[in-house]
Amino acid sequence: MTDWAMTNRVRIAMIAALAATPVWAQETTETDGDVIVVEPDNGVVVEDDSADAPVTEETAEDEADGPTLDEVEPGEEAIFVDDLEAEAEGDAAEPAAEDGPTLDEVEPGEDAIFVDDLGMDDEAADTATDEAPTLDEVEPGEDALFVDDLETATDDEPGAEATASEEESLDAVIDPAPETGETSEAPEDGPAATEPEPVFEVGADWPYWGGDADATRYSPLAQITPQNVEELVEVFSYQTGDMPTEVTEGTYSPETTPLKLGDDLLMCSAMNILISIDAATGEENWRFNPGVPPEAIPYGATCRGVSVYRDPDAGEGDLCATRVIQATLDAKLVAVDAETGLPCEDFGENGTVDLWQDIGERVPGWYAVTAPPAIVRGVVVTGAQVLDGQAEEAPSGVVRGYDALTGELAWAWDLAAPEEMRDGPPEGRVYTRGTPNMWTTAVADEELGYVYLPLGNSSVDYYGSNRSEAENEFSTSLVAVDATTGEEVWHFQTVRRDVWDYDLGSQPTLVDWQGTPAIILPSKQGDIYILDRATGEPLTPVGQLEDLPQGEIEPDYISDTQPYSVWHTLRKPPLEAKDAWGFTPIDQLWCRIQFHRANYEGYFTPPSADAPWIQYPGYNGGSDWGSVAVDVERGIIIANYNDIPNYNQLIEREDPYQTDEYTTIDEAPESVGSPADNEAGPQAGSPYAISVNAGWRSELTGMPCSSPPYGGIRAIDLETGETLWDRPLGTARRNGPFGIPSFLPLDIGTPNNGGSVVTASGLVFIGAATDNLFRAIDIETGETLWSVVLPAGGQANPVTYEVDGRQYVMISAMGHHFMETGVGDYMMAWALPE
Amino acid sequence: MASSVSTSSHRHPHQHHHRPIALLILGWITIIFGIVLLAGGVWLIALGGSWYYAIAGLGLLATGVLLNMQNMAALWLYLVIWLGTLVWAWWEVGDEWWAQVPRMVAPTVLLIFILFAIPVLRRRRGHAE
Repeated sequence: MTDWAMTNRVRIAMIAALAATPVWAQETTETDGDVIVVEPDNGVVVEDDSADAPVTEETAEDEADGPTLDEVEPGEEAIFVDDLEAEAEGDAAEPAAEDGPTLDEVEPGEDAIFVDDLGMDDEAADTATDEAPTLDEVEPGEDALFVDDLETATDDEPGAEATASEEESLDAVIDPAPETGETSEAPEDGPAATEPEPVFEVGADWPYWGGDADATRYSPLAQITPQNVEELVEVFSYQTGDMPTEVTEGTYSPETTPLKLGDDLLMCSAMNILISIDAATGEENWRFNPGVPPEAIPYGATCRGVSVYRDPDAGEGDLCATRVIQATLDAKLVAVDAETGLPCEDFGENGTVDLWQDIGERVPGWYAVTAPPAIVRGVVVTGAQVLDGQAEEAPSGVVRGYDALTGELAWAWDLAAPEEMRDGPPEGRVYTRGTPNMWTTAVADEELGYVYLPLGNSSVDYYGSNRSEAENEFSTSLVAVDATTGEEVWHFQTVRRDVWDYDLGSQPTLVDWQGTPAIILPSKQGDIYILDRATGEPLTPVGQLEDLPQGEIEPDYISDTQPYSVWHTLRKPPLEAKDAWGFTPIDQLWCRIQFHRANYEGYFTPPSADAPWIQYPGYNGGSDWGSVAVDVERGIIIANYNDIPNYNQLIEREDPYQTDEYTTIDEAPESVGSPADNEAGPQAGSPYAISVNAGWRSELTGMPCSSPPYGGIRAIDLETGETLWDRPLGTARRNGPFGIPSFLPLDIGTPNNGGSVVTASGLVFIGAATDNLFRAIDIETGETLWSVVLPAGGQANPVTYEVDGRQYVMISAMGHHFMETGVGDYMMAWALPE
Repeated sequence: MASSVSTSSHRHPHQHHHRPIALLILGWITIIFGIVLLAGGVWLIALGGSWYYAIAGLGLLATGVLLNMQNMAALWLYLVIWLGTLVWAWWEVGDEWWAQVPRMVAPTVLLIFILFAIPVLRRRRGHAE
């Protein structure tokens, strides 16, 4: 349909829906009669993965027992992976549970090194605290490190096994390239390929973080059905061994989703240890530890996943023919051979590219990558998470593409100076600081050669008067960049002048929508947009809110209009005083007082300093990094979402350039997570610090001040945007006042983080909720058909795959510090009994 | 609501030593809850919010005092408060059961305790008669 037709339809629908409700209520419920505009470029959104992170004490000078990097000579080249025999007698032979691994056993003269084992903690602690060169300090060329693991060493001969099994194990199916059907290599004149490359096919494999190349999280597997799902049994539970140390306690939120390729599962641990395990048995094939130091942890120790790339020209069995690529918390791009875990020596310096390059002063934890990179036409594209709330002068949000084979910079997209910075900054300069970053996962489009970047907000999040026009133009936008040139093609903004930290947190999904190649864009304020992939034009109606409040802090800056999706939103009606909650009338009364004390005029209530303001939905969404799943066969979007406010307040500071009582991360680079002594985000360089009460939790009970449900899951008709079913997600079993579990099996609807998987047989698998259940839901009815208690929170996207004709479902049970769901290191698989 | 209490009964202050300790505890808890609700409720009214809490707080305060006096009027007064709460809660949130938790659970628990106190209250009254 044409824009004009949509416009009219929207207008009519809205006018019809218009009621005599207060203006702000109309706006927030999306039924504003004034709404008219349907414009491609409006849009805006939200963010933040990193709110006020709970921080742990960072002191612990952990004299860990383990050996460690100190002992390794930086200059030596080293590398390695084990030689099995040697290890077999050394640490490898030791029981996995022991912690002290050990470099001691390595001969000093040998170059190499290491090992790791489950004694991760030690290693992590050591690298963090001692003076030993951490990776940052080590020259890329020298670094070395590694790991390998016990299981391999003990059970079979890893080395031998690894090479031997290469051929059979990576027999992943590859689809022909969408258009050409041919693979093509990069042209001589440039590092990037300009023709579509083949994509891996989902099914037996789960070759991308988002399932297939389109990030639908849909699997054609159908062995597990609504009828037999109750028979699922646990097949294995693999433990990565990556658990918090004293230093890193309280910062773990691994959010890890593995890939499955051939016979192997490929994953990263919270601290970026790359691991391959057997997909049918959970036995470890290899591991590679890039040695991320604890102070590199930004908001949380998170590695959502890895990506794989197959060299179209490599022969079977060539080292790194298929490579696993991850970006790390200490901002390195690391490539290793998928079969052996050996670093790809031709990639960067010994398999590593330093992403700190040209970013500016190295401040561990301020610039970190938690998302798997997108790979399009042989270019590895990554952004980074820039720790929120610190300062205007934050590291750049530049998004860069690197050649997947060589690790060379293919292009940089610096939104404030795209031409000038395309091949990197001029001598003596760094990428533009404080620009909106991409901390979440992009999606690649081999066919068009684009990569779609969901950008977050500009630094600092809750104050914007000093942002540049370029920042205003791109913050909280989805941006299509041509991956072969690094040029922006189009962008779609979901929040104008975002001062709510409404980052785009979800990975968008590619679909064919009513005959048009399209992209589904969910947002933190809950709106779901569908855009034309080629042009960025909305295919579904976009309305415009008008006469929005502009507040007293920066009325000239705050936009009085905002776009919203008329087609579908996950957002619930605005809060009212009666939505204040509690266990007794007393704590409810307290929340009710807080409600009335706060400024609240709908979800675009501007920040305030005179009193707190309510932001609803809060920065956890709506839809966050778990993203949505799309059953392309049935035409159903499955979206889980949070439904919980934040209670925020700006705190005026005398001198904007002084952080006085607030410590910014650059003043405390050794801190693990956000600097611990702050009661508020410093927002240095702006006149206000920011206090965020995420989830608007009562000081009296620790429970939310708003009424349940706090999260839900819904099925949406892909054609019409209508809700097919909607239900709370998460039971009350682990939640209760004062942190006491209630053990109630009632579906209260908890906050949730992590997405779902849908299967051809009509099942939705999802963990995500804070009840630590992993469950299967009937896609037709929304009914829970099966659930199992996890040993720690399942705040991760699950996967499903097949080995030898048997379908498995898998989720990591690793917990989440912010969601308070314990901590674990389990990667668990279920299947029907054989 | 407090003013709607019509069943005031006779007082015999000289019977203090017969009041069971459990009743005193219940009475004082009710008084404390009443004071907290009244104070917070007045603040809420000042902020433009609901009058329910202040009124209920006042009623609870009176109920607590009557309990301490071992006066059967405590029961009747509290029943009025409880029924008023029920009506108010239903009017505000209807069948949203989670939203009913803060509104009805604690008041109902208190109702049960006061019902358990009936024999004691009755004894006092019987004694007086």
